[in-house]
Amino acid sequence: MSHDRQHDHDDHDDHAFPDEALPEGAVVDGAALARDVEESFDYVVVGSGAGGAVAAHTLAKAGFSVAMVEEGPWIRTRDFGESVYDAFRHMYRDAGTQVCEGRSYIPLIQGRCVGGSTVMNSAIAHRTPEDVLAEWHERFGLREHITVEALAPHFDALERELNVHAVADDVLGENNRLFLDEASAEGLPARKMHRYEKGCRGSGRCVTGCPNAAKQGMNVSYVPWALTLGARIFCSCRVERVLVEDGRATGVLAYTTSDEGDEESQARPTRTVRLHARRGVLVAASTIQTPNILRRSGIRARALGEHFQCHPGYGLGGVFDAPVEMSFGATQGAECTHLRRTERIKLETIAMAPELAAVRIPGIGRELMRNFGVFSNLAVWAVVIRAEAEGSVRPGWGGRDKVKLSLTTEDIRRARKGTAMLARMMFEAGAREVWPGIYGLPSVIRSIDDVKLIEEASLDSRMWSFITTHLFGAARMGVDPRTSVVGPDFQAHEARGLYVVDSSVFPTNLGVNPQHSIMGMSRLAATRIAEGATRRVSATSAA
Amino acid sequence: MKLTRFEDRWAEAAMGAIFPGSAESGLGDIRAMDVRRFLRQLMRSVPFQAALGLRAAVWVVALAPLFVLGRFATIVGLTVTDRERVVATLVVSKSYVVRSLILILKTMGALLYAGDGAVRARMLVPRPAKAGLVTLRVKRVQAA
Repeated sequence: MSHDRQHDHDDHDDHAFPDEALPEGAVVDGAALARDVEESFDYVVVGSGAGGAVAAHTLAKAGFSVAMVEEGPWIRTRDFGESVYDAFRHMYRDAGTQVCEGRSYIPLIQGRCVGGSTVMNSAIAHRTPEDVLAEWHERFGLREHITVEALAPHFDALERELNVHAVADDVLGENNRLFLDEASAEGLPARKMHRYEKGCRGSGRCVTGCPNAAKQGMNVSYVPWALTLGARIFCSCRVERVLVEDGRATGVLAYTTSDEGDEESQARPTRTVRLHARRGVLVAASTIQTPNILRRSGIRARALGEHFQCHPGYGLGGVFDAPVEMSFGATQGAECTHLRRTERIKLETIAMAPELAAVRIPGIGRELMRNFGVFSNLAVWAVVIRAEAEGSVRPGWGGRDKVKLSLTTEDIRRARKGTAMLARMMFEAGAREVWPGIYGLPSVIRSIDDVKLIEEASLDSRMWSFITTHLFGAARMGVDPRTSVVGPDFQAHEARGLYVVDSSVFPTNLGVNPQHSIMGMSRLAATRIAEGATRRVSATSAA
Repeated sequence: MKLTRFEDRWAEAAMGAIFPGSAESGLGDIRAMDVRRFLRQLMRSVPFQAALGLRAAVWVVALAPLFVLGRFATIVGLTVTDRERVVATLVVSKSYVVRSLILILKTMGALLYAGDGAVRARMLVPRPAKAGLVTLRVKRVQAA
């Protein structure tokens, strides 16, 4: 991962990144452990992504001793390279090959490293939409528990601490600027994205880890901040199960893991890590991993693993006569959420590294090579749908996770509408050709009149190539234990002291990027847990 | 899981058909990039199911000349032009499974090919000067 390290970080040689110079003993690297470990903490947090890191920091700040357990390794900022292949092998779950199975295969992208998916996402901040919260209140009985007012101070704090602001003009980049200009020309409300970022240089490398630690992923924010407050992290340790005794969570049992991309690390013996939790265990291992950890821990709720939802995305390429150069600028810097409520779609930009874009570049052989030649003139915009389809998460082969989901015809209809809108926008903006990537259509269309081909494209999901990164449900929250896994207090119906604080508790998907909602909900949960524990301590002392 | 030596040769030929390089575009041939080493490392890194998919893709391409061209030969026994014809036919196959398998090869190959320094340098231009950037059609901007 470090082949271009010197080049990338020349400006930073004189100071440490936030993931360096951490308190001694705060980081326990499972891949290097020489013996089994057994320790005790007030709280054990499973996962170090958006949910886990924020919960750990909140509890540590409240004065509790906290351990985080992360399955993946900690890849430091100085080791982030440009290679997508290297990033996939070291930082992505299943080396980037995870899929949702169903009528068609949908690649499913997740981080597997300290910081989780916040290391490779585009750091986009959206508060939970009010209409979504209203739906949760009505359908799942969360009325007085999860409200706009309850979440607001947590969103305020997160936005302050992670420096949320609109993309600055000097790092907007052409892909984003073009989208905004065209949307404006068409009278379509669009805006610069609001991101967690301090000093973005527009490296366009969000997917391989920010080489400047400008993106405020958990790996350079809440994880190191929690460690500074006395928390500890056990990385490269996979939680096998939460230990539950007499209906109460008492700790976790984990085993050390190897780096999937490192043969030497794979040869090391596995060690056992047993962490006792005096007050509780918070699981934030993500929508895919959390349900299976709960299942291995003896939770048997009927809703466990059910109601999985996502936001499938579909990208569209357009070739212009002048350079767009996606390699410079915010990876994702412009969006239109105007149609989220009415059409359940969001339009956005996404700059792609050549390795990822290559899959969507039409052709094989000479045609592909010709199209590679115009890469610098390529813009990529995407439609993201708030899919109504529900799937499931279950244990798969060899301890892995099996995710099943088939998009509905209505989902594809929405994607088709958004794709046609984007194609039209691209032609209006001056694209000389558009690459729809839909099976059965020409691989290249050269006229705005041909956008009707997209409008009439098949509604069979096998004709489309979706990808998904936003995941929800599968351990959802509700007041009824027959239809939910955790209560409105984030505690599992079946085990006291076992909390779930990631997007697996979301009763539905959102229609906007979920990181902010995950962090807001996690901070709300951890604050309530800490306050409850403090009250119990005070009551005991008074007695 | 790892590929056998003959599977390696098939995979290399298949990747070569997808990413043959182009003198016109100044892009090199993927076969000059140590495809076999890449595949060995890849097969170790991905889960069993994904490795199985990659292996299936290699077999489909290897044996496709019989079904696509009616020729009793593996992909290795064809000219570069015919290899490309075979893979181009498979990628638009009516069978979702077949075209998905070819996309696996294209996706994995892209990680090697487009990750190569020389290819990247050819695909990406230095940050363009302001004057060289895309401008919206003048009429539309004025109207807005």
